[in-house]
Amino acid sequence: MIEVRGEDLPQLFSSCILALFSLLVDRRTVREAEARSAEVTGDTVEEQFFSLLREVFLLFAVHKFLARTAHVRIEGKRVMLTVTGEPLDSSRHTVLREIKAVTAHAMVVERSLGGYLARFVVDV
Amino acid sequence: MRFQEVEIRKLSETTWEIPQGNGMRVPGLIFASEKMMEDILRDEAVRQVMNVAHLPGILKYSIGMPDIHWGYGFPIGGVAAMDAREGVVSPGGVGYDINCGVRLLRSELTVDALRPKLRELVSALHREVPSGVGSTGFIRLTAQDEEKVLVEGSRWAASRGLASAEDIACTESGGKLPGADPDAVSAVAKKRGRDQLGTLGSGNHFLEIDEVVEVFDEEAARAFGLFPGQATVLIHSGSRGLGYQVCDDYLVTMADYMRRNAIHLPDRQLACAHIRSPEGKRYLSALAAAANYAFANRQILAHQARETFLRFLGMGPNDLGMRLVYDCGHNNAKFEEHEVDGEKRSVLVHRKGATRCFPAGNAEIPESYRHVGQPVLIPGDMGNASYVLAGSPEAMRSSFGSTCHGAGRRMSRTKARGSMRGKSVIQEMEKRGVIVVCASHKTLAEEIPEAYKDVSEVVGVVHDAGIAKRVARLRPVAVVKG
Repeated sequence: MIEVRGEDLPQLFSSCILALFSLLVDRRTVREAEARSAEVTGDTVEEQFFSLLREVFLLFAVHKFLARTAHVRIEGKRVMLTVTGEPLDSSRHTVLREIKAVTAHAMVVERSLGGYLARFVVDV
Repeated sequence: MRFQEVEIRKLSETTWEIPQGNGMRVPGLIFASEKMMEDILRDEAVRQVMNVAHLPGILKYSIGMPDIHWGYGFPIGGVAAMDAREGVVSPGGVGYDINCGVRLLRSELTVDALRPKLRELVSALHREVPSGVGSTGFIRLTAQDEEKVLVEGSRWAASRGLASAEDIACTESGGKLPGADPDAVSAVAKKRGRDQLGTLGSGNHFLEIDEVVEVFDEEAARAFGLFPGQATVLIHSGSRGLGYQVCDDYLVTMADYMRRNAIHLPDRQLACAHIRSPEGKRYLSALAAAANYAFANRQILAHQARETFLRFLGMGPNDLGMRLVYDCGHNNAKFEEHEVDGEKRSVLVHRKGATRCFPAGNAEIPESYRHVGQPVLIPGDMGNASYVLAGSPEAMRSSFGSTCHGAGRRMSRTKARGSMRGKSVIQEMEKRGVIVVCASHKTLAEEIPEAYKDVSEVVGVVHDAGIAKRVARLRPVAVVKG
């Protein structure tokens, strides 16, 4: 179970993305060589959050891309994401674990003292 | 015994009933000893057995095996049979690693004869059989080849000279589930699977050399070609990224189906669709395709292991005699005929961390084993034991032809890692007489024997309950961990 806090939703979502990549690799070894963008939609904050994490995970699982930074913008139902990082290079990056998927189990996005809190579980 | 507000009724020394209540369509049934039940009640798995009992079309019982533990939606070690006409199919009832399973190879060698070369042999297996996070196989699939794998399963491997006719005959469902449709598998899933065929993966997946240390049923052991002191190879792997993605894709499809059809369940990871709906049919086609990928994957892993033995030992195939005993999955949903309320019915049996276990005489069993029952392979932990069981008639009566699938985790991965801080797992295992090579020390620490229940106790329950019978006990001597 990963628990993340943020001042607002964009910052919370960005931090969750970085937490996800930190499970995969030591992010300090990832260079900010290129940027990738994605966009998801959702009727609720939780749907937006789940769709975003699934999309971000595929950046690694399918495209072998590792993120060092993440920037999220939310406009209504749309969530726009830009990450910077680089493709996996096995001579410099050690993948720490195999993640099967980001699950919806016990997923929470809620207001917390002074901001927002999110919890999510990945299947390993 | 009580689980929160629920009184759990002891039916026998090995069976416990959770009464039907609060929206449950059937009662729950757990196979466990009293001692194991105390542990099981500390986990949320019992709640999950109750949640599964809410699914439309579920028949007789929502079942938990003695190796039951918490999973996503369904518990791991869970069995649920659905009416094929009125019931639902749920990706969470199969799991992310579709058709994850085990295969056992026997040999003509004893472990004593292998022992002087064992360390070098296991290193060679580690080199030749791709394992670990992000590993890729020696097979380069084109998009067209991959589609053939999804349709043909192990038979695709045979077409490439990587499987014998006997391998195919000794694989559950002949290594090919019918109804697979590559078009039902997303492009993303195919991309995740394309370079992973013939790879072990990581986590609890492994390849190990075991010694047959005890035979309980001589007739069945003889039929399976097993004898005391024998060197065998046990392989545990599944459908890799392709299967994970199929599950993930269809959980979303089915969550949407449930919203549109106003199906309300206690846990969203139980997302499901009616078997006869377009969504249900499409998932079943994708499931069969992913299951076929898993069959082909384990077949190629076995081929690589066999070739490594032959090269390393400089032996001919007849002298080595490395033949497949059986390959069975433990994460699947299959259409089968079972007796329900006195009549034969077509049902969809979800087995998530549970093994099909058909008795003697069943036409699905390879002819050479048909007089003793289906071989059932139960991997334990890397320090103690694994078991070979055989199917029994009682399993058809009380668990939809199903039994346990392994030891079952009793310690979280984080806790297991924490307990080994400052210690070397490899050295600890050496003290037990087990050589271990691994791709990741972190993953290895999560797989310590203490992280699992006692597999002998788990097997004792299913044997005593009559839902499988003990045939032989294996002891690991060398392990390759992903």
